[in-house]
Amino acid sequence: MDDATRQVLWNIKHVWVMYVLLVPTAVVAGYGVYRHVRQWRRGQPSARFDRPIERLARVLKMAILQATIWRDPLAGALHAMMFWGFVTLLIATTVVMIDHDFNVPIMKGSFYLYFQSLFVDCLGALAMVGVALAAIRRWGLRPKKLVFSDEANGILVLIFVILASGFLLEGWRIAATNDEWSSWSPVGLMVARVSTTVVSVDALRTAHLIVWWGHLLLVFGLIAWAPYTKLLHIVTAPLNIYTSNLDAPAGSLQPIDFESAEVFGVKNLEQFTWKDLLDLDSCTECGQCTSVCPANAVGKALSPRDIILDLQRQLPAMGRPLSGHTDVANEPSSIIADGTPLSAEALWQCTTCGACVETCPVAIEQYPKIVDMRRFLVMEDAQFPRTLQGALTSMEQRGHPFRGTQASRTDWADGLDVPHIKEVDQPEVLLWVGCGGALVDRNQKSTRALAKLLQHAGVKFGILGRDESCTGDPARRIGNEFLFDTLARQTIETLNSHQVHTVVTACPHCFNTFRNEYPQFGGKFEVYHHTTYLAKLIGENRLTLDASQIGTITLHDPCYLGRHNGITDEPRQILAKVSEAPLIEMEQHGTQSFCCGGGGGMSFVDEPPDQRVNVERSKQALSSGADTIAVACPFCTTMLEDGVGALQSDRKVVVKDVAELLWDSVENSNAAKADVGDRDKS
Amino acid sequence: MKILVCLKQILDPEVSPRDFQVDPDRLEAVLGSASLVTNIFCENALETALQLREGSDSEITAMTFGPDDAEETLRKAFALKVDHAYRIATPEIPHCNSAGAATVLAAAIKKLGTFDLIMLGRESGDWGEGQTAGLVAEMLGLNCVSFVDQIDIVDAGVHLQRQTDVGREKLVSDTPVVVSITNTETNVPRIPKTRDIMLAHRKELTTWTLDDIGLDEEKVTRAANATQVVELYIPEETSSCEFITGDSLDDRIRELAQRIANIVQSV
Repeated sequence: MDDATRQVLWNIKHVWVMYVLLVPTAVVAGYGVYRHVRQWRRGQPSARFDRPIERLARVLKMAILQATIWRDPLAGALHAMMFWGFVTLLIATTVVMIDHDFNVPIMKGSFYLYFQSLFVDCLGALAMVGVALAAIRRWGLRPKKLVFSDEANGILVLIFVILASGFLLEGWRIAATNDEWSSWSPVGLMVARVSTTVVSVDALRTAHLIVWWGHLLLVFGLIAWAPYTKLLHIVTAPLNIYTSNLDAPAGSLQPIDFESAEVFGVKNLEQFTWKDLLDLDSCTECGQCTSVCPANAVGKALSPRDIILDLQRQLPAMGRPLSGHTDVANEPSSIIADGTPLSAEALWQCTTCGACVETCPVAIEQYPKIVDMRRFLVMEDAQFPRTLQGALTSMEQRGHPFRGTQASRTDWADGLDVPHIKEVDQPEVLLWVGCGGALVDRNQKSTRALAKLLQHAGVKFGILGRDESCTGDPARRIGNEFLFDTLARQTIETLNSHQVHTVVTACPHCFNTFRNEYPQFGGKFEVYHHTTYLAKLIGENRLTLDASQIGTITLHDPCYLGRHNGITDEPRQILAKVSEAPLIEMEQHGTQSFCCGGGGGMSFVDEPPDQRVNVERSKQALSSGADTIAVACPFCTTMLEDGVGALQSDRKVVVKDVAELLWDSVENSNAAKADVGDRDKS
Repeated sequence: MKILVCLKQILDPEVSPRDFQVDPDRLEAVLGSASLVTNIFCENALETALQLREGSDSEITAMTFGPDDAEETLRKAFALKVDHAYRIATPEIPHCNSAGAATVLAAAIKKLGTFDLIMLGRESGDWGEGQTAGLVAEMLGLNCVSFVDQIDIVDAGVHLQRQTDVGREKLVSDTPVVVSITNTETNVPRIPKTRDIMLAHRKELTTWTLDDIGLDEEKVTRAANATQVVELYIPEETSSCEFITGDSLDDRIRELAQRIANIVQSV
């Protein structure tokens, strides 16, 4: 077994031609990559090279292990087969190079048999299976999320021909050389046996010579062509994953330096960061982002994939004035244009739920680009939907986005004796009520439940009452970063002036702002979402409760709690204590939850009746069969209650905040104890 | 065309009912936690002026009569790119009504010289008297057209349009003329661009005292005394519910109809 090997470059003469051909291949491919690098370098700065170990770990997980691509099992399987197949073939070719070109005889013995023959043969075959599955998917199943292009067809055919010709070459060599180790190359051996039944060994020898050069030309051709196609992602995807946003797996928004910024937001590609531009060149056209987009799911124009591809299409013209617009002081026209995927209509449909970013297998950040363009529309163009103008004006004038509300900041607390934080001696926490929790009638019940729970647990807490103002979350997501900047600084100042260190809030939007965005403005607070805090209180035995027969519950994970902040266990821990029935999970839950439609300022927009995201999510919740839809966000509460109402289900299904359900259980427990006490007395 | 737009800063009419309080002694609303905003009809007037400027060679001056805080209203007007802004500082006059305000505005307008078009909101969201435009016109000896919602500049002067109970009225007026503007679909206030908001704080704003425009507190008070606020209170909201009883449905309907008829008669 030790002498097992094969002859490298058997049957091939004038091998020098291969080395000569390598030069133009490398030049063409290199130029293809260089063009893109040159474009990325024209973007704005972005610090994405810190924490190399974490970054490498992410590349290992997402690129090498292909972790995120498995969301679509068929696509995941076929891509992994092709990926690992080609990586193996690349290693095998490298082994040949080391053995032959560097004269290091490693291609022999058990390594040759187990790896270079058996393993490589199997993985090559696996890649063929992958190609076959891809062909069935692309030409047979035709899923809507794919981009059907000649380029994609061409790549698939080319890969097939390269793999197939590789096996033919192997088989014909085995047949012609009577290779004694051929049983270690099962596919090659099969090809050899079939081939020899059809033609003579001499004919195989000739065919081998021709096909060998053909195979070489095709491989070199593919290498040279790749950077000019979506195969560029072979280079860009690992780089994009390495430089991805480590702190926010579902994307985050960056502040603007209003003193130095030349343009507020993004009007042209030049205003994007280099990482944004790299994002564009990393797209594999897989369509995963669009397939999970809630706006797209209800038939709206928004398609994150098409936004990325349209921006990518514009990249070559970056910085050049578009034809017909040269008269405007040579200024390139805006990338936002009606009738394209980048229409204002589409940009105003995004709920910033982050599903696109979370699901992207190559870590593209889609929705932050949408917000960048909204920033331009709002701050530079001052053109955007009127209802959103109303919300922004209200935030600016009244410190909350709910125009026309009749409620005051403290109506919800009537009769509860909730003190202002300044009246509390050494408070444990500030209860940040949020506009949604205070000013919307429906949510006042949830806020009351939360306050009663805190009181029941003996938590020393206070509120800010009339001193509370909007955190700025809707302003930031609508694109008015200037207003957000103002509100953020005001809120941080208010909290600091009351020496607040720990904040509890029932609003995931406020929670996210405190946790992830105020640090950008120097505001550092320990912040808990109420589900986390209540789960903690239960764990510390500060709340006594009885699981009751309230029927079945399903949980709608708010995007800004689950996806944006990774908190999915705590609400479930609480619900497990509240109901005896096991939780019913909707198909899309946890970090892959489906938006209620209310994020990104969209709860202030009138959606067309047949294209409402909240109705779609309510359908999903109703079809779970649960009696109660548990929520953990004031916006989700109203959106889903409206959605359930619009659907007019035969069953009576209620939408309740986790705090309301928990308070019901605590009250049950108290009532049960009182009953026992009464009986004891009698 | 030289356009003047008068703007009034008021207590936010959208303040929640619970946060709205009045001082029964001073006969004024209490600011409390409410915000100060520009009166919506004044914003409609400014929007109309901005649209006029877009189609003509016009210049817009914004003017307000109010305390230091009212500067914010003019800064917002600057953010919408008015050309000049003047504030006449309010002296301590309890409830300076339309007559008082018109006296001040008319004196300031006289000092500034001639304008072709003097625009005001049809009424303010706080007291809602709706008299200022007419009084300013009277004091300046100019024509006044009220409740205008569309203005077009023509050679002879201006075309003014307004909605009446029976249809639309179109008027031709020579200038100068005072108009009061009401809200319509086409004059919803625009949103300023952020850069303009930032620049607005660097624009030069002129502040005059009553003395600067040839008035004194006594003259304004005397004008304002044309009307007196006797009492100011928040009406108490009560509601009661009664179920109409009766043996049959017909009886109950008859009883209900009778009750309604009684109420209608008593009104």
